Amino acid sequence: MADYQEAPLATRPKTLDPNEYFNLSPEYRRAEEARAALRANLKRQYQMQLNNPHRKELIEDPALTRWVYARANPYPHFRATNKTSLLGAMFGVFPLFFFYYVFKTDRDRREQHIKDGTLERKFSLSS
Amino acid sequence: MAVVGFRRWARALSKGQGSGISALFSGARAASGTSKADLPGAYPKTPEERAAAAKKYNMRVEDYEPYPDKGEGYGDYPKLPDRSQHERAPWYQWDPPDLRRNWGEPIHWDFDMYIRNRVDTSPTPLSWNSMCKQLFGFIGFMLFMFYLGEKFPCYQPVAPKQYPYNNLYLEKGGDPNKELEEVKNYEI
Repeated sequence: MADYQEAPLATRPKTLDPNEYFNLSPEYRRAEEARAALRANLKRQYQMQLNNPHRKELIEDPALTRWVYARANPYPHFRATNKTSLLGAMFGVFPLFFFYYVFKTDRDRREQHIKDGTLERKFSLSS
Repeated sequence: MAVVGFRRWARALSKGQGSGISALFSGARAASGTSKADLPGAYPKTPEERAAAAKKYNMRVEDYEPYPDKGEGYGDYPKLPDRSQHERAPWYQWDPPDLRRNWGEPIHWDFDMYIRNRVDTSPTPLSWNSMCKQLFGFIGFMLFMFYLGEKFPCYQPVAPKQYPYNNLYLEKGGDPNKELEEVKNYEI
């Protein structure tokens, strides 16, 4: 396995990373063990609920609840800084006026051509 | 979530006791399920808040890193690496296998973008710059050549059609008694 080559479109899996096995510091090992303990705890909770014969309802996932809540409620944490106001103006205010002017001038020019009788109605599909 | 709430309501009603109905109307429910403290909150400023937030999201305190507080609406949601679900191990027994995610694992902010039907952040055979240059170079070159072709059309030389019999003088309704000089449409 020392000469493992990843598939062209995949990242190297964590379990095949040589840095995981050689020259490990104790801090790294402790960190990995803490993460594995958290993961194992979550797995255990899930499996207890999944295999509970008296369970009649769905298993709710608190991580999903938090994610949905966070995505649906950004406004309490919103502040009007330079960047956010600039983004808001660029996407919300500027296109309004810009497209109004573009369309109005184009339509007025076209109307003027029609009134003068100079409008060229070509048969080509592209313009 | 709504299903659980509905069942609780139906169970409270179907208990048939006075306490069931009054419990429904007074809003008193069992103290289980998510509480307010479990939901995402404001950006954590003190280390205790950070530790509490890391515990809430089931992450280590060292791993927990909230989005920088620029008022963009993230709150204390953790900043996870921007990797799509394509990159996760396909052979491990994930809890919902199509999402390649375990129950209770913190979800990336853009999770619905990184699912396996959508954006893929796997490494590419060539570097991104090389791919961009090749694609846009080709498209730009073709557009330029088509533009030149429009500007300078090149085709076989053409001329107006030449008709015999003095340019069809009689057929076009000319006077048959009139003598005309010969019209020559050629040169030898």
